[in-house]
Amino acid sequence: MSARGLLWIARARIRADRRGALLDAAAACAGAAALVFFLALGMGVGNAARRMFPSDARLVEVVPSSVSLGGLLGGDALDDRALRRLEALPGVEAAWPRVILQVPIAAPEAPPGMASSWPPGMTLQIPVVGIAPAMVRADLEDGHAFEDPPPGKPIPVVLSRRLVEVYDKTIAPSWNLPRLPPGLTLLGLQMPVEIGRSIVPGKQEQKVYASKVRLAAFSERVPMYMMAIPLETARRLHAEYGKDGRFSQVTLLARRPDDVPAIAAAVRQMGFNVDEGERAAAERIGAIIAVTTGALAFLAVVMCVLAALAIARSLSASVRGRSKEIAVLQALGATPSDVHRVVLLEGAMIGLAGGVLGTLVAFGLSFAADRAALGLLPDFPFRPETFFAFPAWLPVLGVIVPAVAAVLGALAPAAAAARVEPARTLT
Amino acid sequence: MIALHGVEKSFRDGDREHPVLRGVDLRVAAGELVAIVGQSGSGKSTLLHVAGGLDRDYRGAVEIAGTPLAGLSARELARLRNATIGFVFQSFNLLPGLSALENVMLPGMLRDDTGEPPGAVRTRAADALVKVGLAARASAPPARLSGGERQRVAIARALFARPRVLLADEPTGNLDAATGDEIIRMFVELAASGLSVLVVTHEERVSRAASRVLMLRDGRLAESDAATAAGERGAGRLA
Repeated sequence: MSARGLLWIARARIRADRRGALLDAAAACAGAAALVFFLALGMGVGNAARRMFPSDARLVEVVPSSVSLGGLLGGDALDDRALRRLEALPGVEAAWPRVILQVPIAAPEAPPGMASSWPPGMTLQIPVVGIAPAMVRADLEDGHAFEDPPPGKPIPVVLSRRLVEVYDKTIAPSWNLPRLPPGLTLLGLQMPVEIGRSIVPGKQEQKVYASKVRLAAFSERVPMYMMAIPLETARRLHAEYGKDGRFSQVTLLARRPDDVPAIAAAVRQMGFNVDEGERAAAERIGAIIAVTTGALAFLAVVMCVLAALAIARSLSASVRGRSKEIAVLQALGATPSDVHRVVLLEGAMIGLAGGVLGTLVAFGLSFAADRAALGLLPDFPFRPETFFAFPAWLPVLGVIVPAVAAVLGALAPAAAAARVEPARTLT
Repeated sequence: MIALHGVEKSFRDGDREHPVLRGVDLRVAAGELVAIVGQSGSGKSTLLHVAGGLDRDYRGAVEIAGTPLAGLSARELARLRNATIGFVFQSFNLLPGLSALENVMLPGMLRDDTGEPPGAVRTRAADALVKVGLAARASAPPARLSGGERQRVAIARALFARPRVLLADEPTGNLDAATGDEIIRMFVELAASGLSVLVVTHEERVSRAASRVLMLRDGRLAESDAATAAGERGAGRLA
């Protein structure tokens, strides 16, 4: 029988038993809706969590050991020699040292034009870290350099991308300050600072002088509440104020994520520690989301299996009830294989219809859930615009899984239909 | 042409075999209407199923329109049933989910070798309904048709593929006298147009219209004149 004939007869059969087909399609629809909804929710929440806790699977954060065994293991001080050894580790593509600036820097006034966003009389003490420029090179836009400036020129700085979100959602509302207008480009913004000044008693340096910082970029690789300056600038200031020039941390970039465990082991063998705080938090959150999503998706797959069983039961009853029709089809020129395919196609059509409907229902539910969540939840940092993610493959999956489940459910009834003997049935 | 040579068929009941057909020879030429009569359970329907290729579990040889059925694959046999043989059943056996027109279209939709577009199949089915006088009832489902109308739809469906052989199992069994006569007239006309028509029946009026009447008794076919056959049928009904 041609595909056209198969389709025509399967459609006619479904039309003849609309109620049964609707019930089966409803079961498949529930399975598809649950599958698409839960997977989209899991991926959407995962995306939000990644925005909140960005983590690069190729980075290894090396810090000095809290217990010094330096003499024995050759480690303990993160200096230029240690940096070279770390760079030489197998699997390491780059090593980026950083240093916490021990010279205090404070901003006594607002950047020009932003006085309204600055509480009157406030002096902002800024924690500063010196980082290797290569670490944020990918985040630099054209025309914005990040290197130690010549004397008298503003110091380029990089801020955490997340800081803007935190300012908008937390700092601005609590200090009653205006939010940053959407689309405002802050790059190039300059702010007067005083180097050596501290608002903490006893921490201020003897030598305090005015300078300027200029915003060069935003990056995920800068700690959220710190301002990053070029490593050379930090080392220069340390030399100028007679501070320790050793690195506080070295970030290693692995060639591949798979290299990370071996690199971390080698780092520990060298007597250093690996700071897994942020990564561990991100991984824990990722794992919780993945497990929850997996459990819900499993539940949805169970629903699809139940739908398949319902379809199997219903089609089996249908095949038993229309054995005479099947015998007539064979008398008119259908082979047992044609009959088998007609029943499978009925299952597939019911599953497909349920899958399409279920996917649409999931879209609708996710839209409604987003609307409800955005209406009910307060505006907090990193609050996503949507809690759902719909990659292109998800609707396809939502249609295919129930269709495949339905075809699997139709296998036994189809085999039973193909076994109908026309001579015996038509007697 | 329908030809059966030495056809034997038996049913198994546990360890026992019940022979139903014992060396049946039959030949129905083109343009001939042959009626087979016999008692209930004498194997008339079984004979029809063997002749129509619906039952392959027999010994002997069957030819339909010159094609021996032995050795045909399931697909070849299905194609032969679709294109060469028309079936008409006592209980009409129309598909309830399809309209009268769609029931007639079925053989056309089941074919895989013509490439005939659905529109053409539909037109031919409508023509077939016109020929049996049911053009006005084309869109009606079987449940809304009378018994006579259903049987005429079944005949239109059997004739849709322009078969060379028509096999009918008690075609007037569920019809009133007037409608039955109408159907018998159709069969006579079809035979006159060149079809080989084999009818299994209890009805005397069918055998009266047949070119030949054969009696199936004890698994064997014997020529029978109408009176003898009528007598046997009466015995059958009484039994």
